Formats: sequence, C-alpha cells, structure tokens
Amino acid sequence: MRDTAESLSRLDRNPPYAPFYGAMGVVASSVLTSIGAAYGTAVAGSGIASTAVMRPELVMKSIIPVVMAGIIAIYGLVVSVLISGELDSSLKYSVRKGYVHLFAGVSVGVSGLAAGYAVGEVGDMGVRHMALQPRLFIGMILVLIFAEVLGLYGLIIGIYLYTVDVK
Amino acid sequence: MAAQIRTVVTQTFLYLFLAVATILTLYFVMTGKGERVSVGWFLASSNPYMWACLGIGLSVSLSVVGAALGIHTTGTSIVGGGVKAPRIKTKNLISVIFCEAVAIYGLITAIVLSGQLEQFSMETALSTPAIQNTNWFSGYLIFGAGLAVGLVNLFCGIAVGIVGSGAALSDAANAALFVKILIVEIFGSAIGLFGLIVGIYMTSKSKMGDKE
Repeated sequence: MRDTAESLSRLDRNPPYAPFYGAMGVVASSVLTSIGAAYGTAVAGSGIASTAVMRPELVMKSIIPVVMAGIIAIYGLVVSVLISGELDSSLKYSVRKGYVHLFAGVSVGVSGLAAGYAVGEVGDMGVRHMALQPRLFIGMILVLIFAEVLGLYGLIIGIYLYTVDVK
Repeated sequence: MAAQIRTVVTQTFLYLFLAVATILTLYFVMTGKGERVSVGWFLASSNPYMWACLGIGLSVSLSVVGAALGIHTTGTSIVGGGVKAPRIKTKNLISVIFCEAVAIYGLITAIVLSGQLEQFSMETALSTPAIQNTNWFSGYLIFGAGLAVGLVNLFCGIAVGIVGSGAALSDAANAALFVKILIVEIFGSAIGLFGLIVGIYMTSKSKMGDKE
C-alpha cells in the first residue's frame, strides 16, 4: 500500500513527459532569439544597402547594428546550451525542473525577440539618417545600447532561473 | 484584392479553430470529464516515434522553406538589377549560395537525427520504467532539436535573402559595395549556424532502444 502511494507520488513529480518542457525551453530560447536577430539583421541590412549607395565610406560604421543583432542570437545560444546540459530522462528530471527550464527559455526568447526588433528598427533608421548627418553616429550607438540591454535583461533572468535548485 | 482575400481566409480559419477549441474544452469541463483535457496524458501516451519523426521532418522542411524564401527574394533582385547592370549576375550568386547553406544545415541535422532513431519494443518499455523514460525522453529531444533547427533556419533564410537582395541592388549601383554588404550576410548566416549547434548539442543525450 505504501509502495503504491510512494510510486504514485513519484509519478506525479517525475512523469514520463517531464523532459518535454525542458526541450521546449531550449527550443523557445534558441528560436525566439534567432527570430529577433534575423529581423534585426534583415531590417538593418536593408538600411545599410540603401545608404551604401549614397555614402560608401560609412558602411563599415553602419555594420554595428547588425553585430548587435547577432549578439542577441548568442544570448539565446548560451541559455539553450546551458539548459540542454541539464536535460535528462524523467527518472532524474522532475516536472518542476521542466517548468523552470521552459520559462528560462521563454524569458530570454521573448526578450531577445523584442530586443532584436528594436535593434533592427533603430539600426535601419539610424544608418539611413547617418548618411545625411554623420554626427548622428554617437546618438545611434547610444540608443542601440539601450535596445541591446533589453535582451541582456532576459539573459540575466534566464541564467538565474537555470541556477535555481529545484528537484 | 488578393491581400483582402488572404486576410479573410486567415481570420476565418483562426476564429473557427479558436471557437471549436473553446467549445470542445468547455464541453469536457462542464460535463465532468474535465480531467480528459490533459496535456500530460497526450504527451505521455503519444508515441516517441511520432515526436522523433516529426522533428526530423520539420528540421529539413522548415529549413528548405527558409532557404526558398531567401532565394526568392535574392533571385528576383539579382535578375531585376541585372537588366541595367548585367555584370552583377555572377558575383551575386554568392548570396544565393548563402541561402542554400541554410537548407544544408537543415539537411545535416535531419541526417544526424535520423541516425538516432532506434527500435525499441513496447513490452520492454512499458514494463521497465527506466527504459520507457529514456525512450520518451529521446523522442522529445529529437523533436525539440528538429523544431529548433527548422524554425531558426526558416527565419535565418528569410533574413539572408533580404540582405542579399540589398547587396545585389547596391552592387548594381556601385561595384565596390558588394563585398561590404556581404559582411552583413555573413552575420545573418551565423544565426543559422547557432541553430545547428543547439540542435546537435541537444541530441547528444538521446538514446533510444531496449537497453538502459
């Protein structure tokens, strides 16, 4: 009788589908940050292509928004690799761990998506107007740093959730 | 006109799906069968082969869709810009190759993932919890890896295509600009590579089969 109760409560905490949530956390963190980074690269890249025709000498300075969009993809990669290292079969991986990892991935993912969107839009308009007024470069960099930091906030929470000890 | 039809069809599908899901869920909840609406039941009782093969299929198909959308964007710009500047046509094939590389990432992942499909007997799995948990875990991992790689490559391909289109048109205006905008495309391609790394690393733990 006691064995049954113990095994039922173990099945309640370690059901066979517990690693699914962890795997979806990895998927969320890598996919959503990559969507943000891809959006930032594409939108800023088309801005660079437009301004390069007018001012070819400013192209190298204009690549900074694209680099910052790439960094957002790296945030997602970091959290994905960290969470993947913790995934295990449900004998040792409880469903609580699964929820923690799922929302670690979602937090960095959605933040990265929003940050990539912001970096892309600011980069696009920034490089287009920098071609008309080159002194805007410093202003564009300042705004881009604030947009990038949004992704960093998601990374902080993602890593903090990963280090939370849940059994 | 086409955009209106598209929005109407999309919204019809979406609202119909939401309405059916709500009505079905409420029916189950209101008639005392609420515990049957269970994500956990679905996840535990579905076959790991389904998840694994879904992951393999999605990894290659979504990557190819991304590459195709990218080649569509780049190719039309190359051909359009080449009307007044035919010299761009050979150099800008590099942009098309970057998009193709995205599809190849998906292909590689699908081949690696299908190498991890192993047979396991359901009797052994259902009688030994350790083997069942390992196989179910591997099914979810392969699905997650394939889905991650597929979706990342989908959006990476679109981005590389848009940048490649910009590269072609600015190359048509000024031949020295192509190499500079190629740097932006390389950053775009790196996003697909990150997805590949995540996919391959995630499946390094999966182990299907009859042995523990």
